[in-house]
Amino acid sequence: MSHRLAHLGLALILALAAHGQQRPGARQMVRVQGGAYLPLYSGKTGKTEVKAFEMDIFPVTNADFLRFVQDYPEWSRSRIKPLFADSNYLRHWQGDLAFDPAIARSPVVNISWFAAKKYCECQGKRLPETAEWEVAAKASQTQADAGSDPAYYQYVLNWLTKPSPAVLPRVGSTFRNYFGVYDLHGLVWEWTWDFNSALSTGESRGNASLDNTLFCGGGALGSGNMTNYASFMRFAMRSSMKAKYCVPNLGFRCVK
Amino acid sequence: MKTPVTLFFILSMLLTSCREDPEEKSKACCSKETAEKVPGERSGESLFHLDQEWTTQRGKTLRLEQFRDRIVVAAMIFTHCESACPRIVSDMKRIEASLSEEELRKVCFLLLSMDPERDSPARMNAFALEHGLGPDWTLMRSSASSTMEMANVLGVRVQKLEDGGFDHSNVIHILDGEGVIRYQHHGFSEDTEPLVLAVREFLDSE
Repeated sequence: MSHRLAHLGLALILALAAHGQQRPGARQMVRVQGGAYLPLYSGKTGKTEVKAFEMDIFPVTNADFLRFVQDYPEWSRSRIKPLFADSNYLRHWQGDLAFDPAIARSPVVNISWFAAKKYCECQGKRLPETAEWEVAAKASQTQADAGSDPAYYQYVLNWLTKPSPAVLPRVGSTFRNYFGVYDLHGLVWEWTWDFNSALSTGESRGNASLDNTLFCGGGALGSGNMTNYASFMRFAMRSSMKAKYCVPNLGFRCVK
Repeated sequence: MKTPVTLFFILSMLLTSCREDPEEKSKACCSKETAEKVPGERSGESLFHLDQEWTTQRGKTLRLEQFRDRIVVAAMIFTHCESACPRIVSDMKRIEASLSEEELRKVCFLLLSMDPERDSPARMNAFALEHGLGPDWTLMRSSASSTMEMANVLGVRVQKLEDGGFDHSNVIHILDGEGVIRYQHHGFSEDTEPLVLAVREFLDSE
């Protein structure tokens, strides 16, 4: 009985917390100016030109995602189809509509690409292309392109060397970049629309050792920008993912 | 004596839907049949859960569920592809050639375009003619969003290249009658026998 009451209490707090927030559709987006993106392993010298786009300033939070699940219960933990998510889907929640209120404003993780895509579509938005995400993520607090700023690079690298904390900090807890976007580095990894375009060489297709090669760093020799170990790590993460995977340090945000 | 013959006749008519006009079949019986299926009974892994519309080389619109109760041999390709895709198609044709007429009644060959911008129905139809793909073959394309979703349920990696082409994984997939991926062959096959055996195994279990 007391167990049930505790759950009720949790749900109540949760509901209050959720109502205290703005509707996610109204959440702030900012304009990210376009730019050039040189994909790793492109095997070409050509850069991809990215057009200007609008980006969510924060990653999607647990509270945001709760509202989505309330509206689309087929995306709840108990009802999601195994086609669209592995068994780790929202595993940090206590149930279909319940999680520790302390993480309401933390980025939602344990989320599959399918769920992230659906969420963005239901907001009238979409997942960022990898090129878009990378262009936005090149910006430091003061520069649109901080690619050649060693201090910025070191900051990004430092986060990569730290294990993820057990409880993820709130969104907005890392720095606000030149465009006004928060948390592109330092909080969670993020899904991109075309994460599955991370293929290294033709010879490696279907080769199970590919991921290891990338993670150990040996494969970096074929990269377009060998000095950027951080973007190399992101490439490795993307190439190791499948769309139904749900992992505890991978979230997402939307663009339009 | 007459009944089993009639039954056989009706059954064989029902099982030739790959060759029929897809739209007519969906009008005739599929939608009702589908509606009567309890969603929970379907495998959660079924590709029929995808909410997608595809357009074939014959200009017909269909959903993947159209292939319910068929064994589907499928691959993602693009018709401008000059190297890998013709080889994939040729592997699939070898599978077709290894199956008996009776087995082929329950098998469909499906080519899903990863290049919806350029693979118009006319273009796909020309590709089918050029490669001698018979009535059991369906080529189809969808929106960019559905195409990406399909690549992701199939585990196919696709990277668009500057020249308009694609780098992509070469995979032949076999789906059972419930739309579940039961077998995937990565790369080209010197020997298509394992794929043929897989098709037969799923035909038997249908």
